[in-house]
Amino acid sequence: MTKGEVPNIVALEVLKKNGVNVEKLKELITKGVGAEFTTYYYYTILRMHCTGLEGEGIKEIVEDARIEDRNHFEAMVPRLYELGGSLPRDIRKFADQAGCPDAYLPDNWEDINSILKVLLEAEQCAIRSWGEVCDMTTGKDPRTYDIAQRIMQEEVEHEAWFIELLSKRPSGHFRRKFAGQSPHTGSQGGLIHL
Amino acid sequence: MTNPNDMERYPICKSNELVEDTMRKVTIDTVDILVGRRNGKLFACNNSCPHKGASLSKGHFNEDSIVCHMHGYEYNLFTGKLEKMRSWKKEDTWVEQDPEWRKSGDLILYSISEENGTVYVSLK
Repeated sequence: MTKGEVPNIVALEVLKKNGVNVEKLKELITKGVGAEFTTYYYYTILRMHCTGLEGEGIKEIVEDARIEDRNHFEAMVPRLYELGGSLPRDIRKFADQAGCPDAYLPDNWEDINSILKVLLEAEQCAIRSWGEVCDMTTGKDPRTYDIAQRIMQEEVEHEAWFIELLSKRPSGHFRRKFAGQSPHTGSQGGLIHL
Repeated sequence: MTNPNDMERYPICKSNELVEDTMRKVTIDTVDILVGRRNGKLFACNNSCPHKGASLSKGHFNEDSIVCHMHGYEYNLFTGKLEKMRSWKKEDTWVEQDPEWRKSGDLILYSISEENGTVYVSLK
């Protein structure tokens, strides 16, 4: 086999026969991992601004979500390449195509609730985003579905945490075993290299 | 297998299954299409939001537009034009998104017709 010659890829052939629009799937995954990566970046800034007595109690929760969002990027990107996709060469394009808005630090960040609202919005967008991938792959592409549903589980937890902090509605949250444990996409799932 | 790029009309449902103020997603080959009836008129468009690719079938109507569930952008179902680009600023203290992230194309529309109690869509 000469360099550059790609043999028939049965793993893709099967998806197409199952009715998966692979091009659309790659587009959604690229947007999804774009949102995870940019969220990781912006959560770094948000976490830094969780200050004072109130902020101290929240920054570890933000840190869990921050690292786990990065883990989501790590977990899904290999699948993107398996599908024949790739990350944009330019990180600016990568950020512009991301499926969710940038989680910018609000002007009134001294109010911890203002930061929590931005965090919540980001998690809710991620749930919608991975929900699209789950809907598209369920029963058709078990490998992508498995990764997307693991990510979804953690995004749903993140949403519940931030809702609890804003509203006192119980979320079932208890601390992770270590920062950014990713109980669903992490080492127990074997998807990332923790 | 049918070719989605030719001029063939695809029967998608009975006319009485597409009642006023409803929409449904149909798939022709692997192309997801949103069809429905709004304000007495049929519409058919690509189900993928031109902004970030979300399924428009999860959205809701606002007058002649479909509102995307992901970021709230609104597209006219009959002209395809972007009617409303929702702001990220849910509060005054939030910073607006970069214009490159916010920009969007228009909806991809398809021809839709009714004949003898059947609704047809043409992809070109």
